[in-house]
Amino acid sequence: MKRPPIAAVALGLLAALASLIPIGYLLLRLFEGFEAALAELARARTLELLLNTIGLTVSVSLTALAIGAVQAWLTVRTNLPLAPVFAVLATLPLAIPSYVLALGYVSVFPSFSGFWAAWFTLSLATSPYVFLALSAALISSNFAAEEVARSLGKNRWHVIQSVTWPQVRPAAFASVLLVALYTLSEFGAIAILRFDTFTRAIYNAYRGSFDRTSAAALALVLVALTLVVIYFERRYRGDRWQAPTAAGRKRRIDLGRARILAAFGLGIIGLFGAGVPLVSLIGWSVNQTGFDLLRLGELVASSLAVAIAAGVVIGIFALAISVWNLRYSSRLSGAVDLTAWAAHALPAVVVALALVYFGANLVPGIYQSIWLLLLGYLILFLPNALGLVGTPIALVPRSIEEVARSQGLSKNAALTKVVLPIALPGILAGVALASLTVLKELPATLLLRPNELDTLATELWQATEVLAYSQAAPYALALIIIAGVPALALNAQARKLISEVS
Amino acid sequence: MPLLEINDVSVSFGDTEVLSGITLELESKQLLAVLGASGAGKSTLMRLIAGFDSVGAGSIVLDGETLSDTSKTVAPEKRSIGIVPQDSALFPHLNVGQNIGFGLSALSKEAKAERVRELLRLIRMEEFASRMPQELSGGQVQRVALARALAPKPKLVLLDEPFSALDAELRGQLREEVRQVLRAEGATAVLVTHDQEEALSLADRVAVLREGKIIQVGSPSEIYNSPADVGIATFLGESVLVDGKVSGGKILTDLGSLSALNNVAEGATGVVAIRSENFYLQPNPTGDSEVVGRVFFGHDALVEVQTPKLRIRARSNGPFAPEVGMRVTVWVRGAVNFYPSS
Repeated sequence: MKRPPIAAVALGLLAALASLIPIGYLLLRLFEGFEAALAELARARTLELLLNTIGLTVSVSLTALAIGAVQAWLTVRTNLPLAPVFAVLATLPLAIPSYVLALGYVSVFPSFSGFWAAWFTLSLATSPYVFLALSAALISSNFAAEEVARSLGKNRWHVIQSVTWPQVRPAAFASVLLVALYTLSEFGAIAILRFDTFTRAIYNAYRGSFDRTSAAALALVLVALTLVVIYFERRYRGDRWQAPTAAGRKRRIDLGRARILAAFGLGIIGLFGAGVPLVSLIGWSVNQTGFDLLRLGELVASSLAVAIAAGVVIGIFALAISVWNLRYSSRLSGAVDLTAWAAHALPAVVVALALVYFGANLVPGIYQSIWLLLLGYLILFLPNALGLVGTPIALVPRSIEEVARSQGLSKNAALTKVVLPIALPGILAGVALASLTVLKELPATLLLRPNELDTLATELWQATEVLAYSQAAPYALALIIIAGVPALALNAQARKLISEVS
Repeated sequence: MPLLEINDVSVSFGDTEVLSGITLELESKQLLAVLGASGAGKSTLMRLIAGFDSVGAGSIVLDGETLSDTSKTVAPEKRSIGIVPQDSALFPHLNVGQNIGFGLSALSKEAKAERVRELLRLIRMEEFASRMPQELSGGQVQRVALARALAPKPKLVLLDEPFSALDAELRGQLREEVRQVLRAEGATAVLVTHDQEEALSLADRVAVLREGKIIQVGSPSEIYNSPADVGIATFLGESVLVDGKVSGGKILTDLGSLSALNNVAEGATGVVAIRSENFYLQPNPTGDSEVVGRVFFGHDALVEVQTPKLRIRARSNGPFAPEVGMRVTVWVRGAVNFYPSS
């Protein structure tokens, strides 16, 4: 076993340590101020937050599941007219950050707020996750098995229940988990729609009153909820079986006249998920008086600069861990890889809160500097980046590396001259996606940014805080154009699906 | 009265006519093989019978009940027709017993368990009831798929290339088992296949399908011994085609004067199809033909022979197959099929 490059080990260990900060902070809080936390949690307000958060998470998860499942079944399995168009339409909300979606509605209907508004907005914003997972599962499920079930006397609805659903259930549960976690950690849309859940309360506790004890106590409850969601998904998603490769021709189910009705229904969903908010944002942007184009240019430039810097940092760490764990794997590299995932699913508000504490108490000078912000992005987005950067490396066949070795290259030279160049396009796409995610990030950016740094997201946020929705519209549009659309275009799952459906 | 009647069925997808004027009948407890190359329309025919597609013209009648015609298509679940698809399509989330019992929801719990046990016994997989499909071998998967189709005692079973995913040895073995299982259940079945050996060895009747039309229907020996045209003759086993002319009731060819199986018109020209096993190669140092190639299979051998005017391939008994370089005289045993050129 060759020793891994020292740089990879050093970067990997650093990233693992960084990823442990939020958990360390939470544990510290738990032990330090247990009684204070209990007192905080005993307030009636906590119960209200709990009910709000759980109610929203459950209702959004179920609604997104219903929307995504219907969209997936109709576009993949039936003779719906213009199926590829509807597939694109169903993924379109991915290009719109959820707080932008919320802004699109609230700017037209100022009374659009509270539970139903949050439920409506987040259900539409998260349905693409279910749609993508379920349509991929439907495509790879065995169509012939459904026909066999028909021939054994089951009607169409019974076949969906007894054959189709069990085959896609693991994908459905995994995507609903994603939606639930997304809802639990959502901050921007909920705050704009003035509905109180834990994330908004944590932010306000810290921002409004600098009440760290209260913020930390609420954060602990939120993390506990997150763990419950993960537990339920593991427990109830059912056995995973190897999906047999689907053979035979893929016949689409004839909906008859109902296909027009189905197309109409999907059109309405698409209209609410993307059409209405886009039109309203465009309308406000066009009818803007005294609009400062220069300011927009500055914000785009500063947003891009921060996002690219963060993308590069995240990319370097992800690359180091991937190379170490995939090509020189050892127990230590496995542990580092696992640790990097520790912060996965932690709400950004909680991570930011931990870093504020870390910066203010342990590393003076880093607080309110760009470095703390970059550290926050690293912890938040490293898990996703590990998948994005690791996959293209894992896909380079070992045999290619072995041929390179037999041609006289050392293991490290084979890596730098053969493996990495082959994987480079995939790695760059991963870095680009990480940058685009950073571009849209709101809560951690708000809490960790240096005072002089304004981005599109923070400027949009400040405008909504003073209810200047029309002012925020151009920033929202800019975010969709420079972050949302490219992210959707780079989304491998969405691309694969759309090519399969057409 | 035949159990299954397919009357003048045609179907088109877009502008292409996939099946035209298909007429077939099948008696109860018989096995009909539909033999054709890929793209001949076999799978489409199966889907029409099963009720997954509608006919463009004609009708399909099972046990006196019209299942498909231009005005209606009875839903697949109301037809009592079991299917065994090509990839078997076992339900991946159910074990073997649950797969077999899937279509038995009308039975009581005890009757269902008993029927499942009966079928497991029939396919000799009693101890596999609680295995998951992915833990089975290819042959076992197909046996379970067959048992699942037979479980509700359908009026008809459709087998779509059920052996194509298996290797040659397993295929032969499974073919025999399937025949026994179908017989034990008294099932009526339609098998579609591109494998002529499978069709000939398994079926009571064979229908040859080409480019969406039925070319010939008959017993396996009729189809093999008297192919309706040159195409079928070469499709069913190896045949050598030789030009010939009818003269005095015999056919004059480069291989001598041969007698025809079918009626021939005096003076007609055309080709004769001679099966490779109908040649007899007599070793003869002064013979006019020479062995130029030999592929040895053990039980027999395929011998390539250069005659003065032709190159032929003859099947020869393994131990007695002549070696390359030997001189032989070529004889044609028995009568041949003559196809006049149109």
